[in-house]
Amino acid sequence: MNKTLHEVIARKKAVGDFLLSLYITAGYPHLKDTPQIILELDKAGVDFIELGIPFSDPLADGPVIQKASQIALNNGFRISHTFEILKEVRQQSSIPILLMSYLNPIYHYGIETFLNQAHIWGANGLIIPDLPLEERGLFTPFLDKYALDLIYLLPPNAPDERLHAIDDASTSFVYVVAYAGVTGRENSDPIHILPFLQTLKKSLTHPFLVGFGIHSHQDIAFYSRYADGVIIGSAFIKYLEKVTEKNIPKKTREFVHALTSPPA
Amino acid sequence: MSSSFSRLPDTQGYFGEYGGRYVPPQLEKVLQEITEAYEKIRNDESFQKELDYLYKQYAGRPSPIFHAKTLSERCGGAQIYLKREDLNHTGAHKINHCLGEVLLAKRMGKKKVIAETGAGQHGVALATAAALLNMECDIYMGDIDMEKEHPNVTRMRILGAKVIPVVRGTRTLKDAVDAAFEAYLADPETIFYAIGSVVGPHPFPMMVRDFQSIVGKEAREQFQEMTGKLPDYLIACVGGGSNAMGLFNAFLEDKEVRMYGVEPSGLSLNEGEHAASLTLGKPGVMHGFKSYMLQDEEGNPLRVYSVASGLDYPSVGPQHSFLKDIKRVEYVTVNDQEAIDAFFELSRVEGIIPALESAHAVAYAMKVAPTLPKTTTLLINLSGRGDKDIEFVVNKYGKNYGL
Ligand SMILES: Cc1ncc(COP(=O)(O)O)c(C=O)c1O
Repeated sequence: MNKTLHEVIARKKAVGDFLLSLYITAGYPHLKDTPQIILELDKAGVDFIELGIPFSDPLADGPVIQKASQIALNNGFRISHTFEILKEVRQQSSIPILLMSYLNPIYHYGIETFLNQAHIWGANGLIIPDLPLEERGLFTPFLDKYALDLIYLLPPNAPDERLHAIDDASTSFVYVVAYAGVTGRENSDPIHILPFLQTLKKSLTHPFLVGFGIHSHQDIAFYSRYADGVIIGSAFIKYLEKVTEKNIPKKTREFVHALTSPPA
Repeated sequence: MSSSFSRLPDTQGYFGEYGGRYVPPQLEKVLQEITEAYEKIRNDESFQKELDYLYKQYAGRPSPIFHAKTLSERCGGAQIYLKREDLNHTGAHKINHCLGEVLLAKRMGKKKVIAETGAGQHGVALATAAALLNMECDIYMGDIDMEKEHPNVTRMRILGAKVIPVVRGTRTLKDAVDAAFEAYLADPETIFYAIGSVVGPHPFPMMVRDFQSIVGKEAREQFQEMTGKLPDYLIACVGGGSNAMGLFNAFLEDKEVRMYGVEPSGLSLNEGEHAASLTLGKPGVMHGFKSYMLQDEEGNPLRVYSVASGLDYPSVGPQHSFLKDIKRVEYVTVNDQEAIDAFFELSRVEGIIPALESAHAVAYAMKVAPTLPKTTTLLINLSGRGDKDIEFVVNKYGKNYGL
């Protein structure tokens, strides 16, 4: 379990506030942009960060994040850069950072070695979209030792017993996937999962954040009524496509501002 | 003897430490449904009867075993036999699991089957089964493969399938698998993903193996009838590993039968010039399962290559990884040139043009036969015919063979 992550969630919950989390692919758009982007997101009021470790075959990701991952790999991104990014961010910010990676890069790096490094450089947790609940034993023996939370994904088609199993295994929050599919669907209508969100409100003992396909202030307004927070990924990645290197700080702030304040 | 192999995989889909179901959780529910539906039809007489009927009256099973006497004589050693999967309808072993998968999809009330294809053989077989059983069919294929294998693209289209070009990543088989998974994730309730080999998350490696196991079942009986014995060696090429598992499965308990899986060493054993996943790979997780895999030091799959498009995949079916570790099957390599030699040799001395994939198995048999006594028997799974390859082979290699 990670204290900082828990405190951030608890603080927000205590005042009935909504959690805003942003996903960024490490090493994208340019190899060295990531620490600055994270620091700007922190200043703009984002509650925590999902830092995506690029992988060539990201099964849960749609075209936008696939492309960003490929660009980052082409930029020469290596797993060790993840720890350099953490090191740089931690000199100025304690914003919780969850590392998002597919299983194979971590498996290949060595699971305990990776978790140890993540801990040393100040990561707060992990999201591994292709790690089934049944295989969490690969990670759970090390989580307390390295003060990390493992976050599980809960899909809208999960049967009841699955929902409870995921809730039981969770230690901080549950990541609710808004629709069956890959990240970044543009026309996902959140109204379809309303009944599911209402069920979750009643049956989950942990807070839950919704992710996948969320891209507008409107979406956020909707989810803020039914969930504890949202995670935004593809919309931000796509926005960064058009941003030049020197504009990144300003543009990052503008992006968050547009999401969090009602359209004029 | 109680069977130590026939119980694999376990209920979680593991063959030893390999296999499993490493997928985004959105897919867990449907994979569980497929597993349950499959468990039901596995013991359902009416399903098996329907499948047997199609095997026999539609696909042309059983496929014969042929004693390649001239080839054996020319090698000057062991006797070479061919299990003629090339004679099946659509020209390869792939029809065996496609008929099974589409029948199952139909029973589950699915509307559409989808799949990836490399050389196009699995795509053609699936499009065929889908046409027969009145299902929609979408095939994902790297645009580089589409160009190389355009007759198969045309075939799929004639059969009513939609061929969707994949332009991501390496634009070949690995990325076609990614694209098919992406489509599957978006609509797992109406779609059935009919994966093309003994790969992917549980239950696919088990299910495709079982549907392919007809090959070994027939061969075991036919061979004994022909020779009064079991074969001494089994030889099959290994891409994902479906034709090899299909043949090997019936013989796993026969300790005296030695088995060889042949991987492509392409141009060389240098990175990017081969697809010898078992020979040079390390355990890893990709496309929903754990197995030997060719990967860089960061865990990203490596580029692969083989003259045979059906063999160039950077991983391999999990049961093969298990069989390698316990040393039940030996995995060896054959390079492009050896496969091309075998392609022409079999064509010219036996009048059988093999698929380039199958030519790898033939080439290995030609290598070992001379080192063995005349009484030793080798049974090759001749997994497909070479019609799809002729243009490419003649253009690229013809002049060295008088063409
Ligand atoms: C004729 C033939 N043999 C073999 C293969 C390789 O697949 P597998 O290893 O699953 O048998 C293919 C794949 O396209 C093929 O077309």
